[in-house]
Amino acid sequence: MDQLVNPFVLYGAIALGGVGVALALPRRGGSPQVLGALLAALGGVGVLALLGGAASDAGEALPSVYFYLFGAIALAAALRVITHKRPVYAALYFILTILSSAGLYLILSAEFMAFALVIVYAGAILITYLFVIMLATQAPVGGDTSVLAEYDRAAREPVWAAAAGFVLLAGLTTLLFSGARTLAPTGNPASLDLAALPGTIETALREDDLIGAGDKVVIEDDRAAIEYGAVQVERADGTVEEVELPADAAVSNTQSLAYDFLHNHPATIEIAGVILLMAMLGATVLSRRQVILEEEAKQAQMRALGGAG
Amino acid sequence: MTLATAAFGSVTLAHYLFVASALFTIGLVGFLTRRNLIIMFLCTELMFQGAGLALIAFSRFHANYTGQTFVVFVITVAAAEAALALALVVLLFRRRESLSAEEWRELRGGSSCTASRRLH
Repeated sequence: MDQLVNPFVLYGAIALGGVGVALALPRRGGSPQVLGALLAALGGVGVLALLGGAASDAGEALPSVYFYLFGAIALAAALRVITHKRPVYAALYFILTILSSAGLYLILSAEFMAFALVIVYAGAILITYLFVIMLATQAPVGGDTSVLAEYDRAAREPVWAAAAGFVLLAGLTTLLFSGARTLAPTGNPASLDLAALPGTIETALREDDLIGAGDKVVIEDDRAAIEYGAVQVERADGTVEEVELPADAAVSNTQSLAYDFLHNHPATIEIAGVILLMAMLGATVLSRRQVILEEEAKQAQMRALGGAG
Repeated sequence: MTLATAAFGSVTLAHYLFVASALFTIGLVGFLTRRNLIIMFLCTELMFQGAGLALIAFSRFHANYTGQTFVVFVITVAAAEAALALALVVLLFRRRESLSAEEWRELRGGSSCTASRRLH
């Protein structure tokens, strides 16, 4: 069986995490939150340790210390989001989750999405959340939690929810991890798209003074013809020759992402724009306050305007 | 780097998928248990994060950009959802002066609770 980890050991660790989450959820009369958090952390560390032991012979590696760092921060902050009694703190911990997810995106060489995540999520969405929380809740003073609303102090059915979460996570890991042993990273995607962006190659060659003003990179089927690190260049006088690519000729993540976006998914931007427009209209319509004017007031207003004109 | 690899082993796709699915699960548990409407929507954002992380990890390990392109979509939908959900939450808060999800129990349907609530 091509399973990465013995399933029952995996389920044991996940069940430990589930018990921890159930204990850490807020509850009437106080709950052992620290103990719950420790158990959940133990479960998570257990799963990752099992994976680490199983994966050490699985081939090529990505830098791992930062993965464990950011992954641990993301999961711990996520746990704190759902267990904290004060909504403002939950939102702030969610920002921490976002920042550490952005760190994970950086490790996975998705730089553009990492910064978009920080700007859009931590910068825009979470600030909106904080505004609404501050509009709608009363802030407790100091450590006094008694002014907090009842619905913030006690969770609903923590045990059953944790059990449902355990079943979901166990199912997901069982399905995801069968056969995952063979999935080592297949090269950096950024280096693969160089041929698809002949303009970038031309700029790089021109900056290094390898080609002159009238020279052009030969393009076949929208792609530059790269072979053995050299590219075909058509000189101004019509002759074709090979020019060695400079070592630092590479496509940035933003360039390749934009190319993929506009070349392979051209309708996506339009659809995203329509979604955002609809959301804007919907939010405006939903949150407007209906002002009901009396019929007489309307008449008076009309007379006043008519008299002025 | 070699020291780090010796200490922690190598990181494969499975590691990222575990963190992504754990984020999703924590978001689900929070959505089921918390009773504050705003926290419930924060938990859906946690689930979005899990999905996004899985997409980015697949994009890196399969060396193509479709995953990252989809995360643009995930962020768009999350922003649209936040705008609409928060507008709804403000509207609901104005009606009942409370953020509790149980104030809106009648949306569940059934005759017994609608009859008692209609008097308000």
